[in-house]
Amino acid sequence: MDKITFTKFIIDPKIFWSNFILLGIFILIGFGCSHYMELEGHYVTGMNNQIVWGLPHIFAVLLIVIASGVLNIASISSVFDKKLYKPLAPLSALLAISFLIAGLAILVLDLGRPNRLIVAMTTYNFVSIFSWNIFLYSGFAVVLAAYIWTMLDREVNKYSKFMGTFAFGWRIILTTGTGSIFGFLVAREAYSTAILAPLFIVMSLLYGTAVYYLVLRIISKFHNTYIPKDVLDNLKKLSVIFLFANLYFLGLYHVTNMYIAKHWDFEIFILSSGGIYTLSFWFGQVIIGIVLPIIILSSNKFGTHLALTIASFLILLGSFIAMYVIIIGGQAYPLTIFPDHVIIDSSFYDNVVHSYIPSIYEFGLGIGGVALALIITLIGIANFKFLPTMISSPHSSEPSDKTTDS
Amino acid sequence: MSQLIKMLAISIMVFVPISSHSHDGEKHSLIGESKADKLDQCVEPTEVMQKEHFEFLYHQRENTVEKGIRTKNHSLANCIDCHVSYDEKGKAIPVNAEGQFCQTCHVKTAVNIDCFSCHATVPRDNSSKIKSTGYNQNIHIESTANNLVEYYKETNYEK
Amino acid sequence: MRNSSELTRREFIVKSVTAISAVYVIPDLIPKAVAAKPLDLEVSAKTKWAINVDVNKCVDGCTACVEACVDENGLYGFDRPETDSQWIRKLRIKDIKTDKVTTLPMMCQHCENPPCVDVCPTGASFRREDGIVMVNQHTCIGCRYCMMACPFKARSFVHENLTEQVTSAPRGKGCVESCNLCVNRIDHGSETTACEEACMKEGHHAITFGDLADPNSRVSLAMQAKPSRRLREDLKLKQRVTYSGF
Repeated sequence: MDKITFTKFIIDPKIFWSNFILLGIFILIGFGCSHYMELEGHYVTGMNNQIVWGLPHIFAVLLIVIASGVLNIASISSVFDKKLYKPLAPLSALLAISFLIAGLAILVLDLGRPNRLIVAMTTYNFVSIFSWNIFLYSGFAVVLAAYIWTMLDREVNKYSKFMGTFAFGWRIILTTGTGSIFGFLVAREAYSTAILAPLFIVMSLLYGTAVYYLVLRIISKFHNTYIPKDVLDNLKKLSVIFLFANLYFLGLYHVTNMYIAKHWDFEIFILSSGGIYTLSFWFGQVIIGIVLPIIILSSNKFGTHLALTIASFLILLGSFIAMYVIIIGGQAYPLTIFPDHVIIDSSFYDNVVHSYIPSIYEFGLGIGGVALALIITLIGIANFKFLPTMISSPHSSEPSDKTTDS
Repeated sequence: MSQLIKMLAISIMVFVPISSHSHDGEKHSLIGESKADKLDQCVEPTEVMQKEHFEFLYHQRENTVEKGIRTKNHSLANCIDCHVSYDEKGKAIPVNAEGQFCQTCHVKTAVNIDCFSCHATVPRDNSSKIKSTGYNQNIHIESTANNLVEYYKETNYEK
Repeated sequence: MRNSSELTRREFIVKSVTAISAVYVIPDLIPKAVAAKPLDLEVSAKTKWAINVDVNKCVDGCTACVEACVDENGLYGFDRPETDSQWIRKLRIKDIKTDKVTTLPMMCQHCENPPCVDVCPTGASFRREDGIVMVNQHTCIGCRYCMMACPFKARSFVHENLTEQVTSAPRGKGCVESCNLCVNRIDHGSETTACEEACMKEGHHAITFGDLADPNSRVSLAMQAKPSRRLREDLKLKQRVTYSGF
């Protein structure tokens, strides 16, 4: 346990390249889609003047939230000094960096003028939370890179705890910033509450853990890494805690909204009369994303691996729907321009609940982004020593003999 | 190192003639005629304009958009007004069309310009201006007066 | 050959006198609501452009202001109402308590504390010294955060390639845009926006534009005559566009 050695991802080149090419194709499709959107203009997408942020933003925000969340494992190991997770920490930081880059890539490629990225990087409006997020995101990437360095290089290893703590602080602020992108929008009833920030943080904890587990599981299929039982049990416990935290903050968010008199109508909309949005909220965000995973993880009928795999899948499915409800649902509900009047007629859809039908291009861009995150991880683990030669297995120096399942 | 110097020398030899290439005595566009064709020089000396026109435009654009300064000398609208070519039928040809004023140089120097995704490429009044008679007295009268003076100058010079 | 179009000495004198008198005399005859700003002067906070809408004078079914805005700024759409730009639109609203139906124009409210300016990451969405809230389309990256932030849905995103822009209103794909109080006209000394002019021409006089800093300007007089209010006053945005009569 005292000495952890790391290794590259040793994998059959055939499998590596087939995966690489497969992901590459998705990335090319993503770029193609974004290029087409830029060339033609956004009318080819499902987004319009009513739903101004669509599927790309769901993907982007989700990836950024996950990026902050997958750092959990590293944070637990360095900030809270859990020896158990030490071998797993570098991979967690790598995943964070790749999901962050992917999320940002989607966000940038969906801009009306992606060619003006340089403007976004050079002119800042410091009143804007968006501006701060540009700093938070790029800074996070730098902090993560430094953190990975301190973890992998023995000479600077003593700074690892400090960097880990620093990265931990940074990610909390980062997710707060992401939540605040919505939280600061006073105009929209769905958003203008500070509770969105902690809600985003607990979401990031939950989704990040789920992603980390799934990635570890996939890697262990090829790499013959043994995931010890105590790590699994711990992940399971963590997931359950995060699920309950999610449920709690989600409830708190809606109860708060109900107490804000002006937001009452929106709550009725989301919770009971919003059609597809209500359906997504209850069945997607709540049942698939939270309740079912809790049941699966708490019951003893499944093996630990199976339970975690199913639960993680459900959590990620739920996370996507949750983003849909927050981002699209929040915009779909019409603005209250006249609190004491009803709008009868408008040429600009002021009085209708907007519908959103995403186009194939937005979907392509989003999937391309996910592929980008995975390919960066793949390249990272194949070329640098991110994976532990053994995970918490004190009496064996032959990790390759271990079986995958516990 | 010597490779680098050689490269530098060659590139200077290749590029300098282009950058000092001058329009003097030439028509400004391959097709059609523009007002600028008839003038001796632009709002600044030709050399200056060739090298610094974008500086003027950048400067003007900040001034105009942020501070509401609407002087004409360095405004893009005025550039276009003067440099746009008209074909035989008197129809304006977009300045960024092939062989036209902006495009001839910018193709040669391979500098992409982004002006005309937003800015009109020919002088185009809004239809309310065409319809309306009363609202913009000052501008209208001023421009009619200017036109008269211009016209007088033109006819006199030609005599 | 050009004889026919040449001026005779007599014609020249007559025309130049007309021209000179047009330049120097006629403008003095037009009552001035505001002092025209010289073209080379920066706008300053001494001018406070504002609009007042008297909803009682606004006529149901009349869309003169909207059409004028479209003509002025070249906002020709693509028959795709969900993505076409609208800088000004007509709304019909009903009072919840009294069932009274009102019709009014809705456009950028030119807030003094504009949320769109606060959220813009590049500072492209900005407020000019004289109070006009507009988009600097040279630095707008098209992130649409301002559209998310606007409580009045005043902004539109240009969703397609445009070709027929008018010289005085540059606009293009991938940027956000909104009512800019006919900034080009105003800077050139016009005393009225396209929408106000159209409303006056229709004889309705519902829209009044002017300089709030001048107590005798049309808008100041209109606001003195009737109590006016801002929309969503709870947000404390201090809009320059006010509504009277409802």
